[in-house]
Amino acid sequence: MKKILALLLTMGLTLSLTACGGGTKDSGNDAKEPAAGGEETGGEETGGEEAGGEEAGKEEAGGGEASSELNIYMWQQYISDDLIANFEKENNCKINLSYMSDNADAITKLTAGGGDEYDLIMTCDAYMESLVAGGYVEKINFDNIPNASNINEAYWTAKEYCVPYLMNYIYIVYDKEKCPVEITCYNDLIKPEMKGQISTIDGARNLFPIALIALGYDPNSTEESEIAEAYEWLVKFNENVVAYGNAEQNLTNGTASVALTYDGNASWAMAEMGENNTLAIADFKEDAVQLGFDLYVIPVGAKHTDLAEKFLNYICDPQVMAGNLEEYPYSCPNEAAVEAASDSYKNDPARNFSYKENVFFQEDVGEALTIYNDYYQKLKVGE
Amino acid sequence: MSKKLDDNSDLKQIGKKRDVKRKTLPALAMAGPVSLWMILFVTIPMLFIIYISFMSRGVFGDVVYKFSGESYQTLMDATYFKVILKSLRVAVFTTVLCLLVGYPFAYYIARKPKETAAKLIMLIMIPFWTNSLMRLNSWLLVFQTNGPVNSFLQWTGMTDGPITFVYTDGLVVLGMITNMLPFAVLPMYSSIEKLNKSFLEASADLGANGATTFRKITLPLTFPGIFSSIILVFIPTLGIYTVSDMLGGGKVLYIGNIIKNQFGSIRNWPLGAALSVLLIVITMLLIFLYTRFASIEDMEVV
Repeated sequence: MKKILALLLTMGLTLSLTACGGGTKDSGNDAKEPAAGGEETGGEETGGEEAGGEEAGKEEAGGGEASSELNIYMWQQYISDDLIANFEKENNCKINLSYMSDNADAITKLTAGGGDEYDLIMTCDAYMESLVAGGYVEKINFDNIPNASNINEAYWTAKEYCVPYLMNYIYIVYDKEKCPVEITCYNDLIKPEMKGQISTIDGARNLFPIALIALGYDPNSTEESEIAEAYEWLVKFNENVVAYGNAEQNLTNGTASVALTYDGNASWAMAEMGENNTLAIADFKEDAVQLGFDLYVIPVGAKHTDLAEKFLNYICDPQVMAGNLEEYPYSCPNEAAVEAASDSYKNDPARNFSYKENVFFQEDVGEALTIYNDYYQKLKVGE
Repeated sequence: MSKKLDDNSDLKQIGKKRDVKRKTLPALAMAGPVSLWMILFVTIPMLFIIYISFMSRGVFGDVVYKFSGESYQTLMDATYFKVILKSLRVAVFTTVLCLLVGYPFAYYIARKPKETAAKLIMLIMIPFWTNSLMRLNSWLLVFQTNGPVNSFLQWTGMTDGPITFVYTDGLVVLGMITNMLPFAVLPMYSSIEKLNKSFLEASADLGANGATTFRKITLPLTFPGIFSSIILVFIPTLGIYTVSDMLGGGKVLYIGNIIKNQFGSIRNWPLGAALSVLLIVITMLLIFLYTRFASIEDMEVV
């Protein structure tokens, strides 16, 4: 009896551990959203790493020959399988894709060691400054990437160290028929009649900027008093929120009537509604929206730099990227590719809004990050 | 005389050797792999967590290997106290509900013939072969605003508009219970099943009615089972965050979420480790209690 109990107890404990690991909730285009944990993806990662390690060993023995293996670490559901297959065929190589479940995963890979297991790692603009300062990323030889000239320079931070891939606006999309308020600014979101209507992305550095803008402050403020005020604003916002995450599903199945989400996810929701689409992008007059980039960097110590550069050049090709956009209709900094894209992409209602220039970027806030995190926890813990 | 003594000690020696062969080796063969496994994958990582919790956080969110008690100082903050209190409350609530639902069910199964009982136990186990996230997602699909439950309610005319079931506390509790019920039912079942029926007959003979027999005989004798159910449900519930994240819409942070965030987006590993250590301490206390209770009670049962 006691032994059985002890066994069950062990089972229980293990369960609690795995439960903490969580998994990716993968539905529609949602894989872009930071989902819980990543035990499954963890498995794949190690698989990829091992394969990469072996292959690297072989090459060193061969010496000087072109790489036949490319290890990429990036978001799941974010690049076309056809693109990968075509590149593999053209270059007679094998691409090992491993997936992250959170932006922080990529940073951990780069900074805590293990970055050299990969040849390309996806991260976002907000981290570039400190990654460069910390010496975690390799300078890229743009002589080998002529197609990079297609990318709009205005959308390019730390130009020597990265190649932008896709970009995301974080804006408000709402159901014109169901939403009780016509939304033209962030302050509309904290009106009492909006109770239980909002579905929003999560994360301190996604939520606080909108509050800071609503209050008229710098979205990347490092002043504690301003962040404290933003916290008060978010408390009211939080009361109106029905759910964090899954915004596009909550819009299409009628749980929420407003969403703060990525344009790619809004595009998915609008496509899902089809003919009866009642979703519209909020017509903002003054408030800026957040724009973020996902970009590729070559980690220090990468073993297949030649192939990595070939790959970067390949995805910057307008035709190739246009095909990729068909499958993943996010905004793209590659203007030639947008030009070459199909009409359905160009006429996507999710990218049809007037204030594309009125944007702000997430910046490194240094030590103030702790203040943000403290208030974020306070917000979510409540009373 | 002296020769005899020598013989005796020789015999003892031989006996000891035989013991080594007969007992130690099989024991080593049986317990060895498990011990190795536990040391490699539980003990060492746990020690590392404790080690990290005393280190400090680098500017860039990395772990700097320099001693600091800062993480534990941070734990003194009222926020964490509130979170732990809240997590404890949810865990207690779930445990109580699981017991209330699980005990009658375990009792019912235990009173069935062996074959029927096995089938009923299977009914509890089968859903457990599916990933818990899958099960949670299916609850969402079933109860979502334009899902089958709402469609049915509207079709029968019981409600005019859709009812919002998703992202409510009710659904979170439902998810918790369905996740944890097997852990509550199984130990209680084994306890009730072992219960000697002659005690119940004796109680009836001495004039106790059903309620009294249950209160004075069944309940005390099955208490070890109940207590292990409590532990088995309570500990995982304390650390779990997926249920409230998925079914509750991620509006509330529990201790599990906070730990996950420290290792994830916030990247303060020492603090995350310190919180984990705190959770381990709470767990240890409960297990200590469990061993006290269970061993004493077991003796009484047997």
